[in-house]
Amino acid sequence: MRFEEELVELLPRLRRFARGLTRDPNDADDLCQAAIERALKSREQWQQGTRLDSWMYRITRNLWIDDRRAAGRRGIHAPIDDAVTQIAGDGAAEVEAGTLRGDVDGAMARLPDEQREVVMLVLVEGYAYREAADILEVPIGTVTSRLARGRETLMHLLGEAA
Amino acid sequence: MSFDPATIAAFVDGELDDLTARRIEREAESDAALAAEIARHRTLRTQLMAHFAPVVEEPVPDRLRALLVDDRVDTSLADHREAKRTRFAPIHWGAIAASLALGLTVGLQPWMPAADVTSANGTLVASGTLAKALDTQLASNQPANAAVRIGLSFRDRDGSYCRSFQAKDLAGIGCRNGDRWTLERTMGAETHGDYRQASSGALAADAAAMMAGDPLDAAAERAARDKSWK
Repeated sequence: MRFEEELVELLPRLRRFARGLTRDPNDADDLCQAAIERALKSREQWQQGTRLDSWMYRITRNLWIDDRRAAGRRGIHAPIDDAVTQIAGDGAAEVEAGTLRGDVDGAMARLPDEQREVVMLVLVEGYAYREAADILEVPIGTVTSRLARGRETLMHLLGEAA
Repeated sequence: MSFDPATIAAFVDGELDDLTARRIEREAESDAALAAEIARHRTLRTQLMAHFAPVVEEPVPDRLRALLVDDRVDTSLADHREAKRTRFAPIHWGAIAASLALGLTVGLQPWMPAADVTSANGTLVASGTLAKALDTQLASNQPANAAVRIGLSFRDRDGSYCRSFQAKDLAGIGCRNGDRWTLERTMGAETHGDYRQASSGALAADAAAMMAGDPLDAAAERAARDKSWK
């Protein structure tokens, strides 16, 4: 299959991933557009026979992180360094259990970026821990610990299913 | 509970070796706390999947497609995708989310939700108990207390085998796609009262609309199963 055709097939899933990261449909499609343009420009860096989807997810995620950092420097969003996101994460856990019952968007918004991206890759996109670690270029232990914190916060906010 | 949280999470994520996974399943049968913990994790996974799944069904905006597809010559691909999208469009994501929000996944055997679903390339597919029931269970010969009840088995217009099912928290129609069952229809279900009958009626109507020819009789159902629904 041609490179472009494979990318077209990937687009619906990539849009879902981007939606989870950016939490806004327009921002998500802007991110997808930037990722496609980047992929077309650097297509010779993709090695035939390796997974195109992992490569695309990595490009998308890295562009998103770049954008967040740039916005942080301009003071548009809160900075995303670990100290600050850690406080945000703990703050979410202090909220009463089940406060956001059914509000998945609201609960995802409470997660620090580095937890949200892992939650999206493993729990929504269905990647194995090892594959998620490759996409994010972090050790597998980092994936599991961020995933554990992210899902605890989500389960807490969304409430028990009883 | 003798398993740490990381192991329980890995179990739900399908990351454990078979031996450890079987040990957890066995222990969950007698350990209510472990069973509840597994159910909590499963519910979150399904809730997130159901929440984000509709994005995959949306038409891809032209501005993105245009970067990759020359529409003047490549209409066949667009037609193909349009057909695919239409085929999967009627899945009732809202019903899945609603049944989860109502907490219907927790019941007699919460560690093993009767209807297990997972996603593959953006579509819902059966896994776990549900996949096993669709693979092996015969409507003509199912135990009264079966976690999943098989309804009709039939061929759709593509010639694929499809089977309607009813479980504790989910009812739907799965169609054979390679070695998996793609869930072409899903809706929330409940085990008692009028609700069950209502959803059975809707499912039967959906099945009738998808069906090419007649439903399989008991002999044909058994023969199809013995050939692995190929």
